[in-house]
Amino acid sequence: MLIEIRNLTKSFQKGDETITPLRDVSLDIDEGEFVSLMGPSGTGKSTLLNQIAGIDKPTSGTIAVNETEITTISRSRLAKWRAANVGYIFQTHNLIPVLTAYENVELPLLLLPFNRAERQRRVQIALEAVELLDRANHYPRQLSGGQEQRVGIARAIVTDPKVVVADEPTGDLDSATSSHILDLLKRLNSELGTTLLMVTHDADAAATAGRQLRLDDGRLIDESRQKDELSLAVPEGNAHV
Amino acid sequence: MFKFAPYLLKTLWRHRGRTMLTVSGSAVALFVFCFVGSVQEGMDRLTSQSDSTLIVFQANKFCPATSHLPQDYDQIIGKMPGVQEVVPIQVFTNNCRASLDVVVFYGVPAEKIQKIRDFDLIEGSWDEFESNQDAGIVGESVARRRNLKLGTKFSVGEVKVTVAGIFNSSDRSEEDYVYTHLDFLQRTPGMNLVGTVTQHEVVLDDSADAVKTSSLIDDEFRAGPVETDTRTKGVFQASSLADLVELIELSHYLGYACIGLMTMLISTTTFMAVQDRIKEHSVLQTLGFSDSIVFALVLAESVLISVGGGVVGTGVAMLTLAGSGLSVGAEAVTIAFSPSVGLALTGLVGSLAVGIAAGVLPAVAAARADIINGLRQA
Repeated sequence: MLIEIRNLTKSFQKGDETITPLRDVSLDIDEGEFVSLMGPSGTGKSTLLNQIAGIDKPTSGTIAVNETEITTISRSRLAKWRAANVGYIFQTHNLIPVLTAYENVELPLLLLPFNRAERQRRVQIALEAVELLDRANHYPRQLSGGQEQRVGIARAIVTDPKVVVADEPTGDLDSATSSHILDLLKRLNSELGTTLLMVTHDADAAATAGRQLRLDDGRLIDESRQKDELSLAVPEGNAHV
Repeated sequence: MFKFAPYLLKTLWRHRGRTMLTVSGSAVALFVFCFVGSVQEGMDRLTSQSDSTLIVFQANKFCPATSHLPQDYDQIIGKMPGVQEVVPIQVFTNNCRASLDVVVFYGVPAEKIQKIRDFDLIEGSWDEFESNQDAGIVGESVARRRNLKLGTKFSVGEVKVTVAGIFNSSDRSEEDYVYTHLDFLQRTPGMNLVGTVTQHEVVLDDSADAVKTSSLIDDEFRAGPVETDTRTKGVFQASSLADLVELIELSHYLGYACIGLMTMLISTTTFMAVQDRIKEHSVLQTLGFSDSIVFALVLAESVLISVGGGVVGTGVAMLTLAGSGLSVGAEAVTIAFSPSVGLALTGLVGSLAVGIAAGVLPAVAAARADIINGLRQA
C-alpha cells in the first residue's frame, strides 16, 4: 500500500463556527493507481489532497505515504519529504513567471542531490513526456493555458515522485485542452506507473481515473467499488474505502 | 544557494523599476556615509599625528596672521636636548575662518623641505624651485582644484607665485598647501615680516619626551620678547580646527542616519516584494522548498539590493573624493577629504550588514507564512 489514511479529521475555526471538511476519513491507495476525487464545492476535496501532499496538517488521524508517517514530522523535514516524494499539479499551474519552462521544471530538482547534467537529463525527459521540449526556453507568458499546465505536469513528475496530486488540473481549461491534459495524465499513469490522485468536479474527468472517490459531507465514498458492489448486489458502508 | 541565482536575479529584474530605485536610494545613502566618513578620517589623521613633531606658536594667538615669533628662536630651540631639526615657517592664508577653499602658503627654508616632508614631485623639479625665489611647489589637490599647471603664475592677495613643481604626499592634507621660500613669503608687500615667522616646527629624536620638550621651550621664552605656546602637531591641529570638530562630530550622526534610512528603505522594498509574492513562495514551499531556503532567498534579495547600492555609492564616493581634491580648512590647517581602502571596506561591509538587517523580518514573514493561505491568494 502506498498511501494509508486512517481516521483523518480536519477542523478549523471560521469566526464562531467550527468547520469540519474531513470527518474520520480512511483511505488506501495502491502504488500505480490513478484515483479521482469528486464532490461538491467545499466538501474537503482539496483539503484531503493537501493532507496527502504534506502541505497541511490534520486535526487528528494518520497519513502514511510509502511507510512514512507524515502527520508527525517537523515542518522542515516535511519540506524535504515533499521535494523527494510528491509532485503537485495546481489548477492554475502556478508557474514562476520569471523563469523559462525549462527553469520551472528544473526547480524541484534543485532541492535534490543531482548534478547539472542529471538535472538537464531529467528536465528534457519530463518536457519530452509532455511534448514541450521545443518550448523549453519559452516563458509562461509565451505559452497557452494548456501548454502552461503541461509544464506544470512536467514539473510535478520531474523528480519521479512516489505520488502526484492534481488539484482540478483541468479546471481552468477549455474542453479540448482538458481532454488533452487528461489523456496525458492517463498516459503518465499507465506508461510510467505514476500514482495519481486527482481532485475534480467534472464527472467526465473523474471517469478517466481507474478509481473514483466522492467526498460528501466530510465522508468518503468509493464510487467504483459501489458500482462493482451494486452489480453484485452486496451493500456496504463507506467509512473505510 | 548559487543554484537559485537565476531565480534570484530574475526576480529582482522583474520589478526592475523598484529594484533600481532602491539600489539608487541605497547608493545615495552610502555615498553620504562615505563622504562624512572621509571627513572624520581626515580629522582623525590630523589630530592623531605622532608626538615626534612640535609646533611652537605665539602664546594666546590663534590665527596664523597674528602669530609673530622671532625667526632666531630656531637657534635656541635647536640646541635643546632631543631636538633633531627646527624649521621656521611663515604661514599665509587667504582665509583664517572655516572655508571649503582655503589656500595656505607655507614659507620654509628651501633646503629643509625635503628633510621634514615626504613629498614626491610628480611634475617640475626641486632645482627649479630652489633656484627661483618666487617659485612654489603646489600640492596636487590645490593644483587640481585651482587648475594650476607647471609654470603657471598665480596670486592670492599680494602673494604671487610661479608653479615650479606639483607634489603628492603620503599625508593627503599636505596636498592642500603651497610651499614657497621663507624669504619670499616674509617679503610679501605690505606685510613686513622679515625676521619673524608664524611658527617653528620642531622635529624630535627618538629619545625626546614631547611634553617635557614643549615645557622646556615655553619656559625658555616665557621671559623673552615673545612668549610661546608649544604643542605636539596633532594637538596643535586639533586646537586650530576646534570650531570644526563639533560640526564634524555632528555630521557623524548624519552618516548613521543615512544607514538607518537605507535599512528602512530596503526593508520596505523587501517587504513589498514578499507581499507581492505570497502565493509564489507558497508554490515553492509546496514543491519542497523549506522555510530556511525561502528565508535565505528573501534575505539574499535584500542583501543583493543593499550591496548593489553599497558598491555604487561607495564607488562613486571614492571616485569623487579622489578626483575632487576637496578639503575644509580653518586657521591654515586643512582637513582633506580623501578616499581610503578602510573607508571603502567599511562602506561595503556596512551595506552587507544593512542588507542582512533589512531582510531578516521580511524573510521570516515569507518563511513562516501558511502555505494553504498563500495558495489561496489571487
